[in-house]
Amino acid sequence: MSFPNPATSVKLVLLGEAAVGKSSLVLRFVSNDFQENKEPTIGAAFLTQKCTIGERTIKYEIWDTAGQERFASLAPMYYRNAQAAIVVYDITKPASFIKARHWVKELHEQASKDITIALVGNKYDLVEDDTEEESLRKVSVEEGKGLAEEEGLLFFETSAKTSYNVNDVFIGIGSKIPEAASAGPNQIHQTNNDGRIDLTSDPNNRPRAAGDCAC
Amino acid sequence: MGKKKQEMSQVYNNSNNEFIFGENGGKGKHLSSFLKNLSLTGTSSTSSVHSANTDNIHEINSNIYGTLGYSSSKVSSNQSNSGPPPKRSVSYKDLDDDWDADIDVSTDSVVRRSPDNRNLSRVTKVESNTSSRSSFNLQPSPMLDSLYPDLTLPATNSSVNLNSQKPTNEESLDVEDYRTTMEINRLNQISSRNNKFRNILISDSIVNLQDLRKLAWNGIPSELRALTWQILLGYLPTNRARQASTLKRKRQEYLEGLNASTIDFEDTAPSNSSSLYHQIKIDVRRTNQSIKLYGYPETQQSLRKLLYLWAVRHPASGYVQGINDLCTPFFQIFLLNYIWQLQQRVLSILEADTYWCLSRLLENITDNYIHEQPGIIRQVGDLRNLISKIDLELLNHLDHEGVEFLQFSFRWMNCLLMRELSISLIVRMWDTYLSETPLGFNNFHVYVCAAFLIKFSNDLKEKDFQEILLFLQNPPTGHWKEKDIELMLSEAFIWQSLYKNASAHLR
Ligand SMILES: Nc1nc2c(ncn2[C@@H]2O[C@H](COP(=O)(O)OP(=O)(O)OP(=O)(O)O)[C@@H](O)[C@H]2O)c(=O)[nH]1
Ligand SMILES: [Mg+2]
Repeated sequence: MSFPNPATSVKLVLLGEAAVGKSSLVLRFVSNDFQENKEPTIGAAFLTQKCTIGERTIKYEIWDTAGQERFASLAPMYYRNAQAAIVVYDITKPASFIKARHWVKELHEQASKDITIALVGNKYDLVEDDTEEESLRKVSVEEGKGLAEEEGLLFFETSAKTSYNVNDVFIGIGSKIPEAASAGPNQIHQTNNDGRIDLTSDPNNRPRAAGDCAC
Repeated sequence: MGKKKQEMSQVYNNSNNEFIFGENGGKGKHLSSFLKNLSLTGTSSTSSVHSANTDNIHEINSNIYGTLGYSSSKVSSNQSNSGPPPKRSVSYKDLDDDWDADIDVSTDSVVRRSPDNRNLSRVTKVESNTSSRSSFNLQPSPMLDSLYPDLTLPATNSSVNLNSQKPTNEESLDVEDYRTTMEINRLNQISSRNNKFRNILISDSIVNLQDLRKLAWNGIPSELRALTWQILLGYLPTNRARQASTLKRKRQEYLEGLNASTIDFEDTAPSNSSSLYHQIKIDVRRTNQSIKLYGYPETQQSLRKLLYLWAVRHPASGYVQGINDLCTPFFQIFLLNYIWQLQQRVLSILEADTYWCLSRLLENITDNYIHEQPGIIRQVGDLRNLISKIDLELLNHLDHEGVEFLQFSFRWMNCLLMRELSISLIVRMWDTYLSETPLGFNNFHVYVCAAFLIKFSNDLKEKDFQEILLFLQNPPTGHWKEKDIELMLSEAFIWQSLYKNASAHLR
C-alpha cells in the first residue's frame, strides 16, 4: 500500500456503555452516515479511515467494541496496543457517565502509558432545543469537562445523528498524537468554553469520504 | 416497514386498529403472514380427504391457529357419522376449543353448571362480569365468546387495568403520570362506549335493534363492527338464541351452493367457457389492487367464489361490474375480526413455543453466555486447533499478519453465524444442527465455522491484517444458496468424524 503522503497509523479503540452511540460515531466518521436503529455490536468491529490534519495524514485503525457488560472481558485485547481511545457516554443517561469514569480508570491502569484519551458525551441533538427547566440532559457539560480535566482527557459533546462535532473528535485526537519521532508543534489544543476543540480548520471541511480508507 | 404500515392501514380503511398497528401492538409486517396462515387453514379445513393423517394435521392446525374454520358438509358428516367423537382438550387446554360447536343458550347453561374443571374459569368470568359490568375492568363477555363462535371479542387491553393497579399518587404527579392519566381517560371513554355496545349486544335475549341503530349511527367500535354489521343487515338474528345456529346453517348453505357449481375456482384453472365466470375473474383481478390484501391469490379466489355464487343465484341481475367493489368492505371487516382473534390466540402460542424452543437451544450453550463467556473462548480455541490441522498454511498466514481468532470468530460463536448468513440459510443449517446428537449448536458448530473460514482460505492468504478483518467482518455470502450451505455442512461433518476425538485429546 502506498499513499501520496506517508500516513501515520493510529490504533484507536472506542469504549463505553451499550447503546451510547459508539458504532454510530464511527459510522458517521467513516461513512458520513447514520442509522436510527443500529444493531448492537458483538465482540468488536474493525474499521479504518484516513483523516488529514494540516500536513499530516492519519490513518485510523478503529476497534469499535461492544458495550454490553458481558463482553467487557474482551476489551483489554482491543485497548492493549491502542494509541488512542474514545470513551463515550450518552448525555441523557447518567449511568453511562459512571461507566465512562470506570473505563477511563481502567485505561489509565491497564493501557499503554501515553495513550491519548477523548471523553465524548454523545446524543447532543437530543438536548439541543431543550429549555432550562425541561431537559433530557442528565449529564451537564461541567461534569464532563470536570472529569476530562481531572484525568487529562480531551472533551467533546457530539451528535452522531447530526454529525455535530464528530470529525472534531478525530481531528482533536490526531492533533494530540505525537508524530513518529517528535511531537508536532500543533499538538496543544485546549478545549474552549463550549466544549469544542478550537480548530483552525473549517468544521464543514470533512476528512476524506468513505471508501478512501485503504483496504 | 413504513410503507407496509401505510398499505395495511389502507386495507383497514384507517380503522383504529390499535391492536395491530398501535405503538405497543405487533408490527404491520407480520400481517401478511397472518393472512397467509388464515387462508392456509381455510383451505386445509375444506379438504375432504378423511384419513388419520389429515385428522392429525387438522388437529395440529386447530391447536395452532384455533378452530377458526367450520368444516364443509362432507367433512362434518364424516366426523359425526364415522370415527370416534372428536377429542376435546385432552392434550391441549384451550377454553375456546368448542368454538366450532353449534352452541346455543341451552348448551351454554349446561356449560355453566358443569363441574368440569375446564370450565371453571369461564364460570368465574361470568359471575364477575355480572357484578362489574359497568366497571372499568370489564372483561370481554364470555357469553359472547360462546354464543358467537366466530365473533369473539378481543380481550380488553391489559394496560386498561392500570387504573386499579397503580393508583395515582397526587404528590408526585410528574409528566409521566400525567400522560398515563390522559391515556387512562382516553381508554375509559372508549371503554364506556364499548360497554354501551356490549350491553345492547348481550344484555337481553333479543338484541334491541332500535337501540343498536341509534348507537351505531355514530360509528361502531372496530372490534364490534363485524358483529354489529351482521345484526344490522339482518344476517344475524336479533334473537341471540338463534344466532349461532343461523350462522352455521347459512355458511353451510353457502358451501353447498359452491359445491353444486362445476367451476374450478383456482387461479391457474384453464379458462372457463362460462362468460359470467370469465367476467368475474378479470374484474376480481382488478379489484382494489392498490391494497395488498386484494393481491393475494387466496383473497381473489374467495371473491371469485362468492361473486359467482351470488350471480347464478340472482339471475335477474346477474353479475354487474361494481358489485365486486361492494363485497370488499365486508370482506376486510370480517377478516379484521379474525385477525384480532388470531393475534390474541396465535401470538401467545407463538411466544410460548418460541420461548420453550429457545430455552432448549440455549441449554446446549449456556457456557457461551455466562460470565467471561468460557464456552465461546473454548470454541474459538477449538476452531484455531482445527484450522491448524486442516489448513496450516492459512493459520500461519493469519498468525503472520497478527490476526487473532477471537477478533473475527467471537461473533461467529456468539451469534451462531447469524450475522454472516441470511436467515433462510440459517434455517437450513438448523435442520442439520437439530438433527445432530448432541445438538449441533455447540461442538458441531465449530466444525461448521472451520468449513466457513476455509471457504475463503485462498482470498485470505492474499490479504494483510486489515484486509482480513474487514473481509471477515463482511464475508461475501450474499449470493449463497442452500447448496453452498449443504456443502459446508458436509465438509463440517467429515471433519467432525475425522477430528472429533483428536481435538478433545489435543486440549
Ligand atoms: N438521537 C441520537 N441517537 C443516537 C446518536 N448516536 C446513536 N444513537 C442511537 O442510539 C442507539 C445505539 O447506537 P449504537 O451506535 O448502536 O450504540 P453502541 O454504543 O455502538 O452500542 P453497542 O454496540 O451495543 O455497544 C441507536 O439506536 C442509534 O441510532 C445520536 O447522536 N443521537
Ligand atoms: Mg456498537
